[in-house]
Amino acid sequence: MAKLIIDDLHLSYGSTEILKGITATFAQGEIVALLGRSGSGKTTLLRSIAGLEEPKKGVISIGDQPVFDAAAGLNVPSEKRGLGLVFQSYALWPHKTVFENVAYGLRLRNVAKAELQQRVAAVLDGVGLGHLGDRYPHQMSGGQQQRVALARALVYNPPVILLDEPLSNLDAKLREEARIWIRTLIKRMNLTAVFVTHDQVEAMAIADRIVLLDGGRIVQAGTPEQLYTEPVSLFASEFMGVNNQIKSRVQDKRGGYARIELSGHPLWGKDRAGKGVSEEATGVIRLEQVDVVDGPGGGDGENRIPAQLETSLYLGSHWEHVFRCGDQTLRAFGRPLAAGTHWLHLPPEQLWVF
Amino acid sequence: MNRATRIAVIVAMAIAVLAPIGLVVYQSFLDGPFFQPKTAFTFSAYEFVLDDEDFFDALYNSCVIAFGMTAIAVPVGAMLAFLMARTDLPGRRWIEPVILVPMFVSSVVLAFGFVVSLGPAGFVTLWFKGVFGFVPWYLYSKTTLIVIAGLTHVPHVFLYTSSALRSLGSDVEEAARMTGAGPLRTALTVSLPMVMPNILYAAVLVFFLGFELFGLPLVLGDPEGILVLATYLYKLTNKLGTPSYQLMAVVVVAIICIALPLVALQRFLLRAANRYVSVKGKAAAQKPVSIGVWRWPAAAMITAWLLFTVVVPISGLVLRAFVSSWGEGVNLLDVLTLAHFRELMEFPNLTRGIVNTLLIASVGGALSVGVYTMLNLAAHRWQSGWTRLMDYLVLLPRAMPGLVAGLAIFWVFLFTPFLSPLRQTMIAIWVAYTLVWLAYGMRLVSGALLQIGPELEEAGRIVGASPGRVSRDLTIPLVKVGLFSSWLLIFVTFMREYSTGVYLLAPGTEVIGSLLVSLWGTGAVDLVTALSTVNIAMIGGGLLLMSLFGKRSHG
Repeated sequence: MAKLIIDDLHLSYGSTEILKGITATFAQGEIVALLGRSGSGKTTLLRSIAGLEEPKKGVISIGDQPVFDAAAGLNVPSEKRGLGLVFQSYALWPHKTVFENVAYGLRLRNVAKAELQQRVAAVLDGVGLGHLGDRYPHQMSGGQQQRVALARALVYNPPVILLDEPLSNLDAKLREEARIWIRTLIKRMNLTAVFVTHDQVEAMAIADRIVLLDGGRIVQAGTPEQLYTEPVSLFASEFMGVNNQIKSRVQDKRGGYARIELSGHPLWGKDRAGKGVSEEATGVIRLEQVDVVDGPGGGDGENRIPAQLETSLYLGSHWEHVFRCGDQTLRAFGRPLAAGTHWLHLPPEQLWVF
Repeated sequence: MNRATRIAVIVAMAIAVLAPIGLVVYQSFLDGPFFQPKTAFTFSAYEFVLDDEDFFDALYNSCVIAFGMTAIAVPVGAMLAFLMARTDLPGRRWIEPVILVPMFVSSVVLAFGFVVSLGPAGFVTLWFKGVFGFVPWYLYSKTTLIVIAGLTHVPHVFLYTSSALRSLGSDVEEAARMTGAGPLRTALTVSLPMVMPNILYAAVLVFFLGFELFGLPLVLGDPEGILVLATYLYKLTNKLGTPSYQLMAVVVVAIICIALPLVALQRFLLRAANRYVSVKGKAAAQKPVSIGVWRWPAAAMITAWLLFTVVVPISGLVLRAFVSSWGEGVNLLDVLTLAHFRELMEFPNLTRGIVNTLLIASVGGALSVGVYTMLNLAAHRWQSGWTRLMDYLVLLPRAMPGLVAGLAIFWVFLFTPFLSPLRQTMIAIWVAYTLVWLAYGMRLVSGALLQIGPELEEAGRIVGASPGRVSRDLTIPLVKVGLFSSWLLIFVTFMREYSTGVYLLAPGTEVIGSLLVSLWGTGAVDLVTALSTVNIAMIGGGLLLMSLFGKRSHG
């Protein structure tokens, strides 16, 4: 069942258009990441859902209830939407204790004292801060503050919880832990969550579904696997992983594949953009899909090219090799290699031609 | 606050701001006081004033003095700011608070101090004459007036420049040092240019204050008949024998016409300055620049300035309040007395003035901060035509010097039937003070409001609080400390105010400032110095409270 529906949302600041028609549906119990670069409109979209920005066109519905409808002149104020929002800066009120920060939403809902005590305690326990209710926000670490912010957003059981770059203020180690516990917590409570991030690894780790935004439009929406393995555009492929790019022209086309070349060697790849013969095209292949092979191989030796090893970087779990092939470089993962010329295999089904 | 309340507050403010100005403009086109039944529209008042040589004399003097004092205050203030904020000058810590003293002492009091110390029969003058046999200065000349006005306005330039210099990260200076610039070169090519917009702003501010000057020329210009616009207005009351409201109104219109563009310019410059300041490096760690042997001449210069603008006038004034007579050959220790203070207590209007001043500064100040907070909340986080209108309205009273605003408020209370019974109460004084310091107070409070990030309030809305509850539960508690320190500053400001109450002075509305102005006219020097001393002590108390509070809220 759809919990949150956004239909053709447009928003501008003055003459700059920030959102140019966003349509998306969020299902009950789903964690969705709004992924994009800064300026892509992802935070603006989140703030529009929260009621902190006023779009000029479109509809936003929570459950079956529209909360924003430009055509009908409907704009339910933030406080009436009943959503939970975790701010990037956490926005904990410095003059209230942790307990009071969390309890405030319940006080506004006139929850009786005993129940309030019990619910705040329960949610603080849930985020692992049950014993720190008397502290003030400035007495806590960044990670703890983030948990308080989450507790504050969860305590009144909002239908949808929104998170604005929830992990960006944590250091690297803490961030990895937080990824796990946030996902676990949201899943355990069976909440619908929308979170904004610019980090594709974070998006893939936490979300059930990713909505990739660029320039105020949705580029692609789907599961993390779909976005990673079947990017619809050069932008999407670049955003989601670490790639080799091969600048070339389309030489030939056959059965859903297109041929490009790299310093004279023909390479077949999946035709993803429908470029015509002799049009400029870019071949994209993930680093981990490039194989270092023994030689040109038997048969047609298709998609195998010789390349000069330029340098190797030791990354702990594996090596990253940088090869030179004509005027372009190719990178690949693998075992340690000797200097000199090596053969690389770029499987046609893993090479995308945009 | 919801939309309707916001608009209501803004409209109320618009009325409070526009009524006095409207009344003044209306009055300037009449041939008699507006309350007389038979008045007609005419330009005769304009004709009279524009025909009056004294008016042009006053205008010319105001221009010369404003230019002159800007030329003195800006370089001295900027230099002082650099030395204080960026160098390892010895004794910076204890000099700094003293620098601001001329800002907090009312300028009539400071002027009395100069008369008592450096006037033809002043303490310092007599002592100098005794030692050297001659006196190389004459206090009542225009040049002296310009020098004194310039040097007493150094703190304004200092304040704006030093705060900008402090927020400048030392990384930009270190970068200049790394590329090979010496300390002096760094100061001249990096630090000062980066705060240039702030210096420029301070320059326009000082120039503007030069036009507003009242206390200094009233006391120091009078013996030689040097008039400026404000003193011309003040003297105009007595010029024709009867109160000539229409003439005063014309002068007020003239003053507003000159002041308004200056105020608009300041606003423009301040915005430019703020934009500039926001793009500099990290202000985290600042290392003072070492200026080597130049420390000593620099320290000597600052000491000389302090001696002249703070120590000499104020110590002279306080000393004068405690002696019965002085002159050549009189040992001051023999003539010490408390008689002037006892005399002070015998005048009921003077004691009432002291009580009233305390009341207006404490209770009135708190109420004013309340008003400024209301107004700020009405415009808080709201982008609309109404808030822009408010931005401009706030500037209007700023273009009215205290003397003028006091007069305009006096007329409003005279003109409006339901207000006239309040004319001779402290309410009239409070309204005038609140209006005169509107722009200043609004800036104090909005500074406090701006310190809380918008997301703290948004978080309140998200968890379900209405805008009103957000103000009550989150915004106000968060700015409590800021509001208290705003109140302290307003307290000191109301305490030293002297010109606004001049036209409102009546039995029951005495405040120290306006009493001082009227007492000086009668020549009661003993009482004036004693009352001034009381005023200085009260301001000192306020400042002490402020520094104690500042320490506590920082620790």
